[in-house]
Amino acid sequence: MRIGKLLLLGTIIAVLAVLPANGFAKETLVYGTTEKVIDMDPANAYDFHTWEIFYNIYQGLLRYPPGKTNLVPGLAESYDISADGKEYTFKLRKGLKFTDGTPFDASAVKWSIDRVIALKGDPSWLVTDFVASVEVVDTHRVKFILKNPVAYFPSLVASVPYYPLNPNVYPKDKIVRDPSELKGGKLVGLGPYKVVSFKRDQEIMMEANPYYYGEKPKNDRIVIRYFADATTMRLAIEKGELDFAFKTLNPSDINDLEKSTKIQTIKAQGPYIRYMCFLCDTPPFNDKVLRQAVAAAINRPPLLNKVFLGQNAPLYSMVPMGMWSHIDAFKTILGDGNIAKARKLLASRGYSESKPFTFDLWYTPSHYGDTEVDMAAVLKDQLDATGVMKVNVKSAEWATYRDNWKNKVMPAYLLGWYPDYIDPDNYTAAFAGTAGSKGLGIHFSDPVWDQKFVEGQTETDATKRTAIYAEIQQMWTDEVPTATIFQGTLYLFAQKDIRGIMLSPTLQFNYGPIHKAK
Amino acid sequence: MRNLTRYIITRVLLTIPMVFILLSIVFVVLRVMPGDPVSAMLGGHAPESVIEQKKEEMGLNRPMVLQYADYLWQICRLDLGESMVFKQRVTKAIGEKLPATIELTFFGILITLFLGVFMGAYAADKRRTVQDYVIRLYGIVVYCIPVYWMGLMLQLIFGIWLDVLPIAGRTGPRVFASTFEKTGFYLLDTILVKDFSAFGDVLVHLILPAFTLGLVLSGIFVRLTRANMLDVLRADYIVAAEARGIRHRKIVYSHALKNAFIPILTMMGLQIALLMAGAVLTETTFSWPGMGRLLLERIYLRDYPTIQGVIIIIALIVAMASLIVDVIYAIVDPRVRY
Amino acid sequence: MRYSPARGMARAISLVTGMGKKYGVEWWILVAGALIILAIVYMALFPASIAPFNPHNQSAGPQLVPPGGKYLMGTDNLQRDVWSRIVYGSQTILRVAVLAAIISSVFGITLGLISGFSGGFFDRLISLIMDSLYSFPGLILAIAFAAMLGPGVINITVAVAVIYIPTYFRLVRGQTLSIKEELYVEAAKAIGSSGSTILWKYIFPNVIATTAVVFTLNVADGIMIEAALTYLGLGLPPSIVDWGMDLSMGKKFLPSGVWWLITFPGAMISLLAVGFTMVGEGLAEILNPRLLER
Repeated sequence: MRIGKLLLLGTIIAVLAVLPANGFAKETLVYGTTEKVIDMDPANAYDFHTWEIFYNIYQGLLRYPPGKTNLVPGLAESYDISADGKEYTFKLRKGLKFTDGTPFDASAVKWSIDRVIALKGDPSWLVTDFVASVEVVDTHRVKFILKNPVAYFPSLVASVPYYPLNPNVYPKDKIVRDPSELKGGKLVGLGPYKVVSFKRDQEIMMEANPYYYGEKPKNDRIVIRYFADATTMRLAIEKGELDFAFKTLNPSDINDLEKSTKIQTIKAQGPYIRYMCFLCDTPPFNDKVLRQAVAAAINRPPLLNKVFLGQNAPLYSMVPMGMWSHIDAFKTILGDGNIAKARKLLASRGYSESKPFTFDLWYTPSHYGDTEVDMAAVLKDQLDATGVMKVNVKSAEWATYRDNWKNKVMPAYLLGWYPDYIDPDNYTAAFAGTAGSKGLGIHFSDPVWDQKFVEGQTETDATKRTAIYAEIQQMWTDEVPTATIFQGTLYLFAQKDIRGIMLSPTLQFNYGPIHKAK
Repeated sequence: MRNLTRYIITRVLLTIPMVFILLSIVFVVLRVMPGDPVSAMLGGHAPESVIEQKKEEMGLNRPMVLQYADYLWQICRLDLGESMVFKQRVTKAIGEKLPATIELTFFGILITLFLGVFMGAYAADKRRTVQDYVIRLYGIVVYCIPVYWMGLMLQLIFGIWLDVLPIAGRTGPRVFASTFEKTGFYLLDTILVKDFSAFGDVLVHLILPAFTLGLVLSGIFVRLTRANMLDVLRADYIVAAEARGIRHRKIVYSHALKNAFIPILTMMGLQIALLMAGAVLTETTFSWPGMGRLLLERIYLRDYPTIQGVIIIIALIVAMASLIVDVIYAIVDPRVRY
Repeated sequence: MRYSPARGMARAISLVTGMGKKYGVEWWILVAGALIILAIVYMALFPASIAPFNPHNQSAGPQLVPPGGKYLMGTDNLQRDVWSRIVYGSQTILRVAVLAAIISSVFGITLGLISGFSGGFFDRLISLIMDSLYSFPGLILAIAFAAMLGPGVINITVAVAVIYIPTYFRLVRGQTLSIKEELYVEAAKAIGSSGSTILWKYIFPNVIATTAVVFTLNVADGIMIEAALTYLGLGLPPSIVDWGMDLSMGKKFLPSGVWWLITFPGAMISLLAVGFTMVGEGLAEILNPRLLER
């Protein structure tokens, strides 16, 4: 009798599980990712995933078209630059409204920028380092007064901290972590989408914004589903439960999905780089010869094979491939796995097989993904293979890691970089300029370099800028404040019937054009 | 019954210093750790001055004794504080994740009891036979299998090779929790909105994690049940029942088991702590959005208030479970003096 | 020669079987557990004689080959031999679990003896602290301690050791309390023995037997906790070979059909823990047969 009841219960459960889900009235696309959203506030959000969401629910005065790297008008129709290069006046589009009806005008822009400066959030330096003040010229014209002329200011304006917010909805004096803190409890913006529901670490549901001035999205609804681990996401896309998945799958999953005929692979060169930093003002690495020796011994292609199963690209300069002025500086001068050179350099400092050069190499185990452990192990192996180096690998979680570089505890450590704005300056000055270098624990300082960086920032002629950065990259292989390792490749996997996905080195990813082929 | 009330009150009062001690230990441990919530949250770009300023604002630079006193005062007002990392009330964060853990552990307990008790009874019945020894071996071995390994193997078999069960999360990618979530207990919520396919989806997602958790703890119950059953089976009334000709199976699984059951249930109280520990590992393996994962995540982010809050809640749960179970035992078994 | 190795072996075997006849299955369980432990201890003491490769050798073979041929348990993505890593990994886990158990027992037993013997406020305070720690899930405390101390073999050992002190404490304190009332202790007091003499000469030896059982079960638990901590990533740099860490590094290859990176480390952890548990359980039943049914 009891068995009978159990069987009945089991059958009911099985039937329920197999029932098809409610059909979607609107075309809904499900987007899987392992990233996390931290703060839903442009004044404090500083990770690429949150910025990606903002690209779709807000908009900047200038913007990048999907998949492209040239700037086009966004909320501003045009802009003028003053003769001394310090004043930018933007002419805003007329007739735009936030989704709650508040009109968009110059005072909203000024309010938003002032707020970023006042809140001193994580990315606020992108404004405060450059902008002295903002003035409202009239309802539809706003002027930015810069501290110094900056050649790449337009690309800064396209970045998220400069996005205008609704003064009626965002609190002026505090950072908003969760949309429920906003007046009305909803995110209100000027972009192609509006947020319908937000469940941190689970899902974000977005629908087309009826007030958007531009092209309507080709899909009715996009739901971002957050995965805590990449393996589950891989299985989900394989089984067809996701329409597309982006960031970040395991290397073995990427290989399998690439080979799969059921899933389409969309690849793009990413702007994100990985490198080794040296503490340049303390022994042992205050000696540039030792830094050169370590950089020469790194053997990038086998490292990528072992750790990433061949994915990603070896990188030979801090300025990434695909950016203007890039040269493969390290390759030509120091080489890959150049054991002979490493030994020669170390011999010149008195190191030998009986007296090897010993130092600590640090890494952080989860901040950059769990491949970091392997990367450290392979690097150790490669450096030890010179026969004259002995590396001790140490690790610290991110919080401790930051503390460590502040306290100059780590002589050599692995780090990564996503750009703030698309310009070689962001990949160079931040590491080797006196101020930036100190902030990252590298402590490299050379007035000649600082002078070059200032020249690069203020020079407006493109050819001259290219020459400056080419020279900086050459200098990099001599002083080696950092030794580059690889540049990441972006992988997005989608079902075969999905169209309209465009990846870009700006990491801007627009959901609007995505749709299912009929 | 006055004695019983007094017993309960004494126990409840005893819980307070215990939770307080745990809390203090954790408080000190956290503050002594290198790193702090501000550094953990910020990426590489933020300037040092900003970090220092934020730490100042959050009161992290004050002497530990002051921070401790403040926190104790807060706890006395039953205020768990606000997360240092997410500007969210700790109670809200825990409230979001606790139902998931409860759903998981509830079904885990059911499976543990089901497997453990029946196997233990069977082993007691078939004393000294091969089946008995095999089951006793099972009891020893299954506890020594790491929960996460068991989970991974089950994921491999059922999720990857056979592809019949989902291996992570509480719902599938196309089932959106925001459409039905209300209490946090998804089985309940889906029924309340009459979304039965979602109900099925949630149930199916519970199978592997609950089974993993339940399986590993069942070993203990096998041994306990067996021991208790052996005692019970020796009793006179059992012999009498046999003499009367009642079917053997009915005697073992009905009469004997019912009498052995209460002591077994009270053992459950002691196992709650193990259950919580197992839940942390199970949640990690199955990406289950519960308190265990919350704790690990916040330890990584050095979110002191949330970590402290979670530890308090876990301590309270363990204490309450023991209390409830002991009280039941005290009521049911007149031999127990309180 | 009067004593030959063959004779010695024969005598040992007859001794073992004799015990088996006397105590039955429980003895054989103990023996089985002991053999498992011995095998793994041998692995830990003489790894070079068993492992075909250096566990850090990143060119031992092709990448990610399944078990077979030269690679008994396959290779991982850094081209290291999994079997060699298992062999060397035994050192880490044994070292941590055994050392942690020793530290725990020393502190726990000492505190238990002193506390039980002296009584009074000190006893009540320490008991309260120990009870709070005891009832709380040990793994969670271990996670907090391990996160605080940071990665390293010593740090993990300390984290594991701290959570077991209450177990020894409670056991020893309880026994001390009851032994304190025994007649021979009163007699010793009467003849003027000092407190410490009574403690170490009379009480301690009686406590040892049960602590031996707890010790073995403690090592088994220590093994599980060490593996859990390294699995959660709270652990160890890549220069240390560890089963839990290999398990966690290997799981991302699962959907690609790479099963050998997690199966073997997990099986070894289970096996080692089972070994110690069997010894503990067997010992318990032999030493105190009345506590458990027959």
